[in-house]
Amino acid sequence: MTWAELHSQSERLAIEAHVALKSRDTRRALDLYRQAADFEARALTLVDPSKVRTRGITAVSAVALWFKAEEYGRAEQLAYSMLADSSIASFAVEELRNLVQAIWTEGSKLRAGVTFIPGQVMVSVKGGEVVTGGAPLDLIVDRVQTIQAMFYRTIEFLNGASHRRVGRPTRELQEACRPWLFQSAPGSYQFSVAIQKPVQPDFFKKDIQPEQIAQHFLEIVRASSGDDTGELERLVPDETYRGTFLKLARNLAPSGKAFERIEFRAAGEAHPVTLGVESRLSINQQLRKKSTPPTVTDEDQEEIRGILRALHLDKDWLEVVDANVTTRIVGLQDAVDDVIGPMVNRSVVVRAVRAGRNELKFLDIELAE
Amino acid sequence: MNESGKSLLQLESLHDRHPGLTASLSGTFYESASVCLNRHHESPVVMTIACNGRSSKKSVEFAKPDARVLNAWANDIDTTESGAYGVSLAAVEVEEHLVAVRRAETLTGADWYVAPIGTRSDDLETCIRLEVSGIDAGGRSAVETRLRQKIEQTKRGTSNLPAIASVVGFKEKAIAIEKVSDDK
Repeated sequence: MTWAELHSQSERLAIEAHVALKSRDTRRALDLYRQAADFEARALTLVDPSKVRTRGITAVSAVALWFKAEEYGRAEQLAYSMLADSSIASFAVEELRNLVQAIWTEGSKLRAGVTFIPGQVMVSVKGGEVVTGGAPLDLIVDRVQTIQAMFYRTIEFLNGASHRRVGRPTRELQEACRPWLFQSAPGSYQFSVAIQKPVQPDFFKKDIQPEQIAQHFLEIVRASSGDDTGELERLVPDETYRGTFLKLARNLAPSGKAFERIEFRAAGEAHPVTLGVESRLSINQQLRKKSTPPTVTDEDQEEIRGILRALHLDKDWLEVVDANVTTRIVGLQDAVDDVIGPMVNRSVVVRAVRAGRNELKFLDIELAE
Repeated sequence: MNESGKSLLQLESLHDRHPGLTASLSGTFYESASVCLNRHHESPVVMTIACNGRSSKKSVEFAKPDARVLNAWANDIDTTESGAYGVSLAAVEVEEHLVAVRRAETLTGADWYVAPIGTRSDDLETCIRLEVSGIDAGGRSAVETRLRQKIEQTKRGTSNLPAIASVVGFKEKAIAIEKVSDDK
């Protein structure tokens, strides 16, 4: 058989596997992927070495198929043999490295003895003070907390839970869908996040596909960072949830001092969703439109900078301290615990409007990085 | 030409014209595209295609999805992506005379490779990679922004194959197609 014939067989089987996966027949899909990988690996051996593109694409395809068949050992072995080949095209080298990274993570997940929802999110923090494999601890802890909060919010939203303003997610949710952090191969500062699979089979609403949680998370981050408000409105029709997602996305985005950008991508995906300094500005514009009453002009607004020393969501106030001067701001509106809570004892900027001689009404708050 | 005086963009039976597609996948693309269009429009709908600086209008006919189909395509993200593939393949066929000839797997999905109608695809050396994206509800600016993003991503991407980026806006009834590079 020729390369074209073997590759065609592999294509046909991979398409069938994709269709089987779509109809949730996982066992058949794995079997078809295994057969497709076998044909593609054989096709790879027949490619004329002078056909650099064909060889690179076929190599990536064969490793990806072994990966999709959950044959991680074979996927890793083939990836290494291709990476050891100096004639393999540079685009394929990069894609094979991504595959190896995904294989390692899957291996770690297997060794953890816990079942995870398929799909994970790779996170890379880049630029500024971040170096290869290292970053200031507080910078990473803040982002990890916010990513965890966004995952919980995504699950609550998809599961139809009413919007939570105060407190943490229910204990049931925290225990059922515990997010795990996995170390990734260094390259800037990278880690991946996977969600533990709930033991209870009917934890999710009937029409929710758990494997789509990571994808929804990424779509929400992408839509939050863009200029097109319509996309986020479509993904998240509930206004309170939408506001919370926007604020969480802003907490993730850089101001440009400590780091320059944060990238999210599905495992092995070459094209990330990126939050840069411009994303923070864009999110701020969206939030200002939303939080500022039409009667309030820019001149009416005040910016209070300092340490967020006290916060009482139930009693609707917060206090900012700067040079021993305490300023109380009231009317926290739809400020929510997981957005504002992590800011306590941190430098913040609060936008407020003077409602009376001694009263400042809250408009918005963000970390002053 | 159909009743509206526009030539047709034929979404159905893509596998009859695109040798790289199977009947089942072609059916999947048609179903998902129908679900996406049905969210906002009644069949037939006139779509605007902006392709490498040219603009044309094409009439698109689709079947009204029944409850079974709607249930099978309940996931918005999957449906929009799959529907965008169906519409994009039909659009590059009429606009650029390119058809899907090969598919290669990636970790999260698959890349499609297109070639001029009638080309034998004994290898991937001269095939063109098709980069597709779908937008359910955004307007024209969202489609244009996504196309720019897609082009930038493709330029930054690691593959040195020539590529075509295609973005489908289902509510906007718009398809934007642009060649990214001849060779890198």
